Amino acid sequence: MDDSLFVYLQQLELITFFSGYPFIYAVVFSIAGNQQDKNSFKNQVTKLLPSGYALVGILYLGFQLKNLYLVYFIQNNNLTMQLTCWQIWGFLSLLFWIPALAKKTILSLLHSLVFFFFLARDIILRLSASTVDIHIVRNDMQMYTVSLLLNLGAILVIVLLSFLVKQYKK
Amino acid sequence: MKLLTNKTLMIFLILISGYGYIASCTHESVVPPTVATSGPIITRGTNIQLPGNMVVGDTTQWKLDKAHSNVLWSTNYVGVAGLLTGRFNQFGMHEVIDAEMQNYLTAGQPLKDTSWAFNEADPTKTYFNGYVQVNQSNTGEPGRDGGCNVSGLGTVPIVTGTQNLTLTNIARIKTTSVKFDPLSNDYIVTLNFTWKGGLAAPLTQSIVGRLKYVSKARVQIGTGAAYSVFGLQLKFQFNCRDFGVVSTSIADKVDIECNMNFNNK
Repeated sequence: MDDSLFVYLQQLELITFFSGYPFIYAVVFSIAGNQQDKNSFKNQVTKLLPSGYALVGILYLGFQLKNLYLVYFIQNNNLTMQLTCWQIWGFLSLLFWIPALAKKTILSLLHSLVFFFFLARDIILRLSASTVDIHIVRNDMQMYTVSLLLNLGAILVIVLLSFLVKQYKK
Repeated sequence: MKLLTNKTLMIFLILISGYGYIASCTHESVVPPTVATSGPIITRGTNIQLPGNMVVGDTTQWKLDKAHSNVLWSTNYVGVAGLLTGRFNQFGMHEVIDAEMQNYLTAGQPLKDTSWAFNEADPTKTYFNGYVQVNQSNTGEPGRDGGCNVSGLGTVPIVTGTQNLTLTNIARIKTTSVKFDPLSNDYIVTLNFTWKGGLAAPLTQSIVGRLKYVSKARVQIGTGAAYSVFGLQLKFQFNCRDFGVVSTSIADKVDIECNMNFNNK
């Protein structure tokens, strides 16, 4: 880990938003199993996973803009934002709004696993060499819990919206 | 997903995050609170304090600092109301024998305050005697102190310039045993309380009280006038009706608190 506190905080933010997705993904796919019927509800939910992930990306973008004091910068015509590569990677989750990408659900998993590995790295280093302070692991796990709830909520919102749209179309 | 099946992914995620939760829930970095003791913490020193002959300047001899000591009494007004309190202006720590029960024409202590000894570690060697002049009860109300208190307590009015240690005006205590209190640093004292009160003749009752030792300390350190002090606090209670006090202005039970300060000047 970089010694910079700000880098650590950025990683914590990314963990908070994205690290819970792989677990939600695995659970949904485990429940759905090998559904032959493509129109079954479970199968439909698996297809909506990338959209839920993209919704989390929207929330992450909103969070970053909130930190940016957007209104102040626009009024002063001085909008600058220094992005790290990990933040850019986080914003890429917005691409899953594109239907063609959303169909490739595995891509959303691979995208989010990057952030889960932040968490896994701290835990494994703690397990293997105790080079990571317990407070860091504690922080990580608290953020991971929040992330699980956030991603679960996002999926539920997308499923609900999808259901409502279908009902409206009918 | 061919390389990484859902089940494998699930197991991997559960293992990693499970360990993370377990590790983060441990309290290894938290200092545990000290173990609570199951009983009171009792620490006693080995101080021995004796009055000797109260030779001024002899630091091995301890003198009663009467000016900074007091004997207080308290009882519930009319038996049920708030506390009525007072103090005895004249008292001492002398075993007053019959021959010494007389009037003394002095403003100071009529008798030497030498009838006591204190041994912190061996209470069997601790003893003390004390007395108060009953008509010297001071509640701050002259009408009461010189009026109904005198008649109600079976004594005589104050004669200015006279220390009245006669039988009608003296209440005495004399310890018969001093033991460690197993539940505190205090001592449990059994004492004989002797007072005539409203009776025809003095009555002696055995009463149990509590003695607290305020440990020896050095004061005014760094000056040429440095000296040591210690304190004894005795509390006990008696039933004034047993001593012929009939006044309904006070309750049956009267609490006595003796705060004695000593120095070795």
